[in-house]
Amino acid sequence: MKLPSIRTLRKYHRIAQVGEIARRYFAMNAFDGVLTILGVLVGGFFGQVRNAASIVTLGMAASFAMGVSGFYGAYMTERAERNRALTELEESTLSDLKDTDIGHASTYATIVVSLVDGFSPFLAAAIAVSPFFLGDAIPVETAFYISFALAFAELFGIGVFLGSVSRERMILSGAKMVTAGIIIAAVGYLLGTTA
Amino acid sequence: MSKVRRLVLDVLKPHQPTILDLAVKLGDLEGVEGCDVVLNEIDNKVENIKITLEGPHINFDEVAAVIQESGGSIHSIDKVSTGKELIEEANTPQDITARWMR
Repeated sequence: MKLPSIRTLRKYHRIAQVGEIARRYFAMNAFDGVLTILGVLVGGFFGQVRNAASIVTLGMAASFAMGVSGFYGAYMTERAERNRALTELEESTLSDLKDTDIGHASTYATIVVSLVDGFSPFLAAAIAVSPFFLGDAIPVETAFYISFALAFAELFGIGVFLGSVSRERMILSGAKMVTAGIIIAAVGYLLGTTA
Repeated sequence: MSKVRRLVLDVLKPHQPTILDLAVKLGDLEGVEGCDVVLNEIDNKVENIKITLEGPHINFDEVAAVIQESGGSIHSIDKVSTGKELIEEANTPQDITARWMR
């Protein structure tokens, strides 16, 4: 199968209006990824898990699960929606649109959106877990603090990104996202101290 | 065999790709020197356009392939001009009557 050129892919990108959907899925799923891994890390910290290898296993397993779930979920959903839209359009044009630019653009959109939906939570979670890859090179407590800082930085970054997309105040948008992280940390602390 | 010098087509196509993309593709075809695309009607999902092509030797199959690739379908071939020279439609008295009655 011949791969389409960059120019062709850009054309499909324009036709299928992928940019808007991809941005939305990226922000939403990266946010999910960071909060989920923050929950794992907070649970690990207040649950007195002090083995870097265990945190890496827990964290990466969670990241992979989110990635696979994101990819498959988005693929099935987007494919169904795009096929439905194409079928409706075929009722108006009275012709088969599968082998046309719009048909190929639908396939392109499905793949791109699925990849974004899969990679964004995986990468967001993996970045937060990354200090633990250093193993015994740094103390586990330090790795936890760096992980928390990375997670909060990611949340702030996602907020700033959304703020720039919606042309609102970026710092405020970032702060709103960080609030969700603080709530998770607070719940983890309460669970850790009351258990 | 004489060559097609002018072609006018009535085409129905979805909104995407736009007539801009379609016109550029048609203009790039071998044997086409000029391309004009006009929007006639538009609704929620599709648009009806008139495509006029002129050139020394227009290949209808290639034109049809480009239109089909863009999701369009040719509803009718409204005008064809062939031969060594481009000529216009001859006026007849019946045309005047028909126009008046319309």
